[in-house]
Amino acid sequence: MPDPNTPKADFSDVESGSSSTAPPANDRTYTVVKGDSLSKIAKQFYGDAQQWRKIYEANKDQIKNPDLIHPGQTFRIPGA
Amino acid sequence: MHAHGPRVFALSFALTAIALAGCKKETPPQNETAAAAPAPAPAPTPFSVTGIEVGKQVGADKRVTNPTTTFGPKDTIHASVATDGAAPKKVIAAKWTYQQGQVVKEAAETIAPTGPAATEFHISKPSGWPAGKYKVEISVDGSPAGSKDFEVKK
Repeated sequence: MPDPNTPKADFSDVESGSSSTAPPANDRTYTVVKGDSLSKIAKQFYGDAQQWRKIYEANKDQIKNPDLIHPGQTFRIPGA
Repeated sequence: MHAHGPRVFALSFALTAIALAGCKKETPPQNETAAAAPAPAPAPTPFSVTGIEVGKQVGADKRVTNPTTTFGPKDTIHASVATDGAAPKKVIAAKWTYQQGQVVKEAAETIAPTGPAATEFHISKPSGWPAGKYKVEISVDGSPAGSKDFEVKK
């Protein structure tokens, strides 16, 4: 148990920071419409159709086959 | 006429098929109705903390370059949290404490990991750290995920 009578150190000037290799969480989502493909969605969000795998990896729980996505599915779009 | 003619033909057909398969280039999916043999999707790795290190520096990969548990009063102290797995949103928090639990600093990073990642936290004190024992406690979405003890010596 901390002793309440122990003088406390002064940490008021402590500076801190943080960063990550993981993309920051954001709430961008996209609902698939007829005619969509992962490449098309990647082009729309990243400007690069080749980034389709990023969307696939983030939504593997609901994409069984990257060639086959269905209207109405809502995907999380990771930050660029 | 050789008796094994059909066998040679079959072998040559198989070799051609293998060669063609080897030349196949990965192409992005074009549309939702593209025909493709359903391939079993690998199960996503559940998110977990795989390691916590403290040290005086981190690299571009956000991992501590030389882990240590002893620091000087003017050192910047880094804690790197290695994680694996994918998740739409995870809050990685670091709580730095001194001696018997006095809170030094708390910080958090909200991430959307898609695989192995490293999240780095650091603290510095321009006026110098008081000597003593410290701890950094890491939590994920509010649940304890590990801690690391270290010491500052004069």
